[in-house]
Amino acid sequence: MTLSVGPVSDSLAAWFAGRGIPALPSEILAIAVVCALPVLGIVFPIAGVAQYFERKIAGGVQRRKGPMVGANGIVDLVCDLLLFWQPRWKRRAFARSLERAPVLGPVLGLVRRWGLGAIAADGVKMFLKEDMAPEGADKLLFFGSTYVALLGSFLAFAVFPFSQSFHMGDPPVAALYLGAVTGLVAVSILKAGWSSNNKWSHFGGIRAVAMIVSYETPITLSIATVCMWSGTMSLQGIVAAQFRPGILSFTGWNLFQSPFLALVAGVYYVAALAECNRAPFDLSEGESELVGGFHTEYSGLRWGLFFIAEYSDMILVGGIFATLFLGGYQSPFLEDRIVALPPLAEALVHTAIVCAKFLASIGFMMWIRWTLPRFRIDQVMNLAWTKLVPLALLCLFGTALTQLWLSGRVPVAPVVHGRYLSAPVVRPDLLSWAISWIVVGGLLAALVVWAKKEGSPKPAQVRKLLGEEGA
Amino acid sequence: MNLERDGDYITLSMGPHHPATHGVLRLEVTTDGEVITACKPDIGYLHRSIEKIAENLEWYQFVPYTDRVDYVCAMNSNHAWVCAVEALLATGAETKLEIPERAQYIRVLFAELNRISSHMIGLGAMTMDMGAFTPFIHAIGQRELVNDIFEKTCGARLTYNYMCVGGVVRDLHPGAEDEARAFLDGLEKVMREFHALITTNNIFVGRLAGVAPVSAADALSYGLSGPNLRGSGIDFDLRRDKPYGIYDRFRFDVPVGKRFAGDRGALGDGYDRFVCRSLEVQESIRICRQVLDQMPPASGKEDDPVGGWCVSKAAQKALRKPPVGEIYFRCENPRGETGYHLVSDGTKVPYRAKIRTGSFCALSIFEKICPGLMIADLVALIGSFDIVLPEVDR
Repeated sequence: MTLSVGPVSDSLAAWFAGRGIPALPSEILAIAVVCALPVLGIVFPIAGVAQYFERKIAGGVQRRKGPMVGANGIVDLVCDLLLFWQPRWKRRAFARSLERAPVLGPVLGLVRRWGLGAIAADGVKMFLKEDMAPEGADKLLFFGSTYVALLGSFLAFAVFPFSQSFHMGDPPVAALYLGAVTGLVAVSILKAGWSSNNKWSHFGGIRAVAMIVSYETPITLSIATVCMWSGTMSLQGIVAAQFRPGILSFTGWNLFQSPFLALVAGVYYVAALAECNRAPFDLSEGESELVGGFHTEYSGLRWGLFFIAEYSDMILVGGIFATLFLGGYQSPFLEDRIVALPPLAEALVHTAIVCAKFLASIGFMMWIRWTLPRFRIDQVMNLAWTKLVPLALLCLFGTALTQLWLSGRVPVAPVVHGRYLSAPVVRPDLLSWAISWIVVGGLLAALVVWAKKEGSPKPAQVRKLLGEEGA
Repeated sequence: MNLERDGDYITLSMGPHHPATHGVLRLEVTTDGEVITACKPDIGYLHRSIEKIAENLEWYQFVPYTDRVDYVCAMNSNHAWVCAVEALLATGAETKLEIPERAQYIRVLFAELNRISSHMIGLGAMTMDMGAFTPFIHAIGQRELVNDIFEKTCGARLTYNYMCVGGVVRDLHPGAEDEARAFLDGLEKVMREFHALITTNNIFVGRLAGVAPVSAADALSYGLSGPNLRGSGIDFDLRRDKPYGIYDRFRFDVPVGKRFAGDRGALGDGYDRFVCRSLEVQESIRICRQVLDQMPPASGKEDDPVGGWCVSKAAQKALRKPPVGEIYFRCENPRGETGYHLVSDGTKVPYRAKIRTGSFCALSIFEKICPGLMIADLVALIGSFDIVLPEVDR
C-alpha cells in the first residue's frame, strides 16, 4: 500500500526514502509536508502581512502614505536594549545605521521608505501584549473560540486546489465540505461574543451569526449553480471543466460562459464579503457601534489570531471565487502549455497564478472596505433575503434552462485537463453564447436602466453639492 | 454571562468611553435586542465649572476659557464672548467701543473658516461613525489647512484665544488673504469629491433616510438651533435674521432641510441635517470670499478705525468700569446658537455668565426620538446632531 496525495507528495516520499527513511514514514512525512505547505507556507504568511497591505491600500485610497516608519522604532528598541547606559552612543548608532552604514543603511532606508518595519513592529507588539480574559468570562469558550476561528478557515484549504499536483485532497463532495467547515466561523464568533461577558461583544456575536447564517443561503445557491453547470462537486472537476486549449484559455472560465453565471459570481462575491465579515458587512466588528464587536475583550496574539482568521477567510473567498468562476489555478493564456509542464514546475506556476488571483481579490475587498460605509443589520438581512437569494435562485434556474437549451445544440462531452477529467459539460458555441448574452444581458441592462429611472431623483441642493450643472 | 435584565430588556451603558460618543458622553440605553426602547443621556463627565470660573476672572481674561467651551470651533466661541461683552459695554454711552473695520472683517473671516473646519469634523466624524473612514480623512485634511492659517496668525491650532474685546489680538500674518483664497478653492474641489464619495452613496442615504425625523414643532420646543433646527425645515439663522458684527454686509443663503433623501426620507431626518451642514459649508465659502474682497488693507497702526485690528486701550479702560446691567447675546455657531447671558454689577469681574450652547439642547431631544431606533441608528444620530461634549458640560 502506498499513501499519496499526488505527484508532489510521491516525489517527496521518494526523496525521503532515498535518505534511508523507511517507506511508510517517508510517505506520511511527505503527505504531512504537502498538507502543511498551503496553510503554513501560503495562507499564514499572507494573512500575517495583510494588515500591512490593508494600511497601505487605506493610505492610497485616502491620499496619504500609510505606514512609512517602523524601522526607526525597531532600531530604537534594539539600541535601547544594547546601549541603555549611554544614550549618546545610541543616538550615534541610530544615525549611523540609517544614513552612513554601508550595508545596513540602504536596507533600513528601503524599509523606512516602504514602512516594512511596521509588519515586524505589529508582530512584536502582538506577542508582547498580555493575554488576558475579562472577569467573569467563560475561560474555556473564550480561549477556545480563537482556535475554532482559525480551524474554520484553515480546514477549508484541505480541499482547495492550488494546482494539479499540489493539493491535499479532492473529495467528490468538496463543495459541500467547504460549506460545512466555513460555518465554523459563525460558531467561533458567537462563542467569542458570548464568553467575553461583555454586552458589546455579545451583540457582535449575535449579529455575526444572524448575518453568516443568512448569507450561507445565497452562497450555497451560487456554488450549487456552478456545480450544476460543471456537473460535479469536486473542485478539481470544476477547474478542469473550465479548461480550453489554445492561446485564449480564459474563454473557458465560468464567468464568461453565460450571463447567469456572471450574475451569480456577483451574488457569490457580495455574500462572501458578508461571510468573512468584511466592510460593508463588518457589523459583527462595527468598531464605531460595538466598540470592537466580538473581539472587544481579546488582546495580544489572541486578537491577532482572529485577524489572521479573517484574512485567511478572505484568501479562501478569493480562492474559491477564482476556482468557481475564474478557472481556478489556470492561466488566462496558453494554459495547455503550462499544464503539460513537469509536476513540480506545474505546481509552482499554477500556485503562483492562483495566489495572484486571490491577492487581487483581497485588494478588491480592501478597496471596498475603505470606500463604503457600513450597513445596518436590518438592511443586511433585507439584502440577503430579498435581493441576493432571489437573484441566486433566478441564476440557478436560468443556468438550468441554458444547459437544457444548449444540450440540444452542442455536444455534451467531458474536458481533459492534465491529470483530471471533468464531468460531461456543455460548451456553448459562439452563436449560442452570443444569443444568451444578448438576450439575458439585454434584459438585465434594461432592468438596471429602469431601476435608475424609477429611483428618486436627487434634489437640486444635493446636485449643487456635487458641482453638477443646472443646479 | 450576566445580563442586567429588566424583563426582556438589556440595559447598555454606551459611554463614557464609547468610540461613537465623541468625547465623554454616557447614554443609558435600554434595548430589546438591537432595538432601543429608552435612551437617557448622562452628562457631566467633562464638567469644568467654566461658568463659575467666569465669575472670578476679569472680562477679558475669560476669552481663553471660551476656547474650551467648544474646542472644535474655538474661534466662534471667542467671537460670541467678545461680541457679548462689547454689547454689554455698548449699553453704557461712554464705554461704547468703535471696533476697527479690518478687525470686524478678520473676525467674520475667522469665524467662517472655523465654521468650515468645525463642519469638517461634524461631517467627517459622522461618516466615520457609519463605517466610512476615508471621507473622514478627506475632511480632517481640510481642517488641518484651516488650522495652518490660524496657527500662522495666532500661534495655536486648537484653542486660539485670538479675539479680544475691542478687536483681535494681532493682525493677520502677511499672505493670509492669499492662503485663505487658495484654501477655499481647494476646499470646493475636495468637497465635491467628498459628496460624490459619500453623500450620494446609496448605503449612506439608506442608513440616514427617514431615521429619527425631528418635526419642526419638536425642534422648536426642544430648543434645537443651528443646522439641527434648519434640518427640520425652519428657516432661521441668526447671521441673517438678527445680524451681529458685520454679517448684514454679506449675501448668503440659509440652507433648510427639504427631505433631501426623496421618497425614502422624512423632513428633519439625519440626512437632512447632514446635507444642511454640507450646504452651510458652501455658504461659508461664499461669505469668506466676500470678506476677502471687501476687507480694508492693513494700515499697520493698531487702533486705526479702518485698517487697525484692536482698540485695546479704549477696551481696557471700558472694561474696568462696565455699565451695570445684564444682557443676553447670541451668536450663530456651527453647532447652533451660543448665547452668553452676562450680568454686570459694574465691577471688572462678571457677576454671572451663563452659557447657552447648541449641543446641550440637541442632546435633550434624544430621550424623545430614540425609542424604536437601532443601536447603529443611535450612533448615526449622535453624529447627525454633531454633539460635542465640552459644549454640553462646560
